[in-house]
Amino acid sequence: MVDRDIVDDLFVVATRELRTVVKTPSLVALAGVFAVSIVGVAWAGTGGSGGFVPLTLDLLTFVEVLIPLLAFAFGYRSILNDRLTGELDMLRTFDVDRIAYVGGVYVGRAMALVGVVVASLFIAGVLVPVLTADQPTFLAQNRAADSILRFVRFVVFTGGFTLVALAVTLAVSAAARTLRTAFVFATVLTVAFVIGVDTALIAGLASGVVPQEGIALLFAASPNSAFRGLVLEIAVGVVSGTSVNAGSTPLNAFALLLWWLLGLGIAVWRVWSPVGWNDDGGT
Amino acid sequence: MSDDVAAANSTQSDVDSETAIALRALDISRSFGNVSVLDGVSVSVEQGELVAIVGPNGSGKSTLMEVIAGVRSPDAGSVIIPADGRTNTNQRDVGYLPQRPAFREGFTVRETLQFYARFLDETGPTDVNETLQRVGLRHVSGRNVGSLSGGMTRLLGLGQAILGHPSVLVLDEPGSGLDPTMVERLFSILHSLADDGTGIVVASHHLAAIETYADTVAFLDRGGLLVSESPTQLLASTGQETLVDAFLASMKSDEHESTVRAGFREEETD
Repeated sequence: MVDRDIVDDLFVVATRELRTVVKTPSLVALAGVFAVSIVGVAWAGTGGSGGFVPLTLDLLTFVEVLIPLLAFAFGYRSILNDRLTGELDMLRTFDVDRIAYVGGVYVGRAMALVGVVVASLFIAGVLVPVLTADQPTFLAQNRAADSILRFVRFVVFTGGFTLVALAVTLAVSAAARTLRTAFVFATVLTVAFVIGVDTALIAGLASGVVPQEGIALLFAASPNSAFRGLVLEIAVGVVSGTSVNAGSTPLNAFALLLWWLLGLGIAVWRVWSPVGWNDDGGT
Repeated sequence: MSDDVAAANSTQSDVDSETAIALRALDISRSFGNVSVLDGVSVSVEQGELVAIVGPNGSGKSTLMEVIAGVRSPDAGSVIIPADGRTNTNQRDVGYLPQRPAFREGFTVRETLQFYARFLDETGPTDVNETLQRVGLRHVSGRNVGSLSGGMTRLLGLGQAILGHPSVLVLDEPGSGLDPTMVERLFSILHSLADDGTGIVVASHHLAAIETYADTVAFLDRGGLLVSESPTQLLASTGQETLVDAFLASMKSDEHESTVRAGFREEETD
């Protein structure tokens, strides 16, 4: 048995994943479309010329929908393709640990994905001082209410949300055995996260099934609403002079952490079952 | 291969004491749902021995290869790699080539082998070059794996399998879909690896190559091992002139004889 460091193996896998993303034209094109869309919203919408908080509000729904889709595109075939081509089995004969493999796939893809997301938001943020430069200055502005710090918080939360979306996608990629299953799973999860939980929440409130006290819990039920809650509470804070009530901040943060751990945990668990033999040992 | 039935009854201490054994699989059984694919199969491979597993489609060859390679758990039985079956302590246990290997496009042949080599402690550029040379891919080492022919992709798969000088090579139908020249080339590489002391288990339908290169032929049918002897002994003991006829003579019944014949014929004429 070859004795190696899991971290070393993880970075070997991560390097290949990053290079795979860079060498895949469809993913590069998608990343470009995402960046152009974000910058386009900042440029054409009212947010870019209104300040950082209006820009955050303009982009929030947009990234909430686009990031799961982008994560889906970046990740749903990542592990499954290795399984279908036999590379997963070949790698196993090199005594690669499951954590090293899944961790490597995750780190490599996440570097590319988070890089695209953060860079796009950075460009959108840079547009704010450019577009607001020509604004009349006789209007009173509350600098504390609209600061770059709030936009930085939004970018950080978006980065975290991207990591969660990718972790869930990787779980699907590791659990599925065919491309069709992976596609269906990932589509169902994306639809559920993007509109399913919100729809259920509205329907529940309207019908009285969901009590007011249960709203915070339901907000935290999906990564999307938890992310939205965090952004509204911490990055936006006040809209039209009124504090935003978007669930419980600790609950939303905990929910995102839980989704992240759940996604990666399932991916490691399902990628392969350890076969306990080797070196004078039986199965 | 040693006597498989006797091997099944071996104790752990017997196994440990046999220095020439590279791998021993004992009483392997595996089912998928209610379908039994392997039923108490025992196989052992000595250092430098080339063992060919022959059987019709659906006989359980691929499952047996996966179990031996350590990528699938058996329901019962065990796979043992004696520590003294290796020539050095850092040696990789098993190299494995699945039935239809494919590699990530966008990477060259050399980059692909370098990726796998990074998981080994004692493998450097020299080993990758040596591997490229050995499998005959040095001249295409800069080519994208997506542009390789099926035969070259298998040779790259073989290259991956032999990196790190494993004590045992497990190859699942490496010649499937290849032309006769490529099959001949592949088996001659395997023969030279066996000469260097590697134990090799290969599932294949290429009976001509097996007759020439294999030390032992094991017939697998419906999850059970029928017979295991050298090709010459097998032909003599069954009184047949070809391995296909010898295989059919070894079967318990001939209810699917035509299917078996067709399967072998198809591969031989690829």
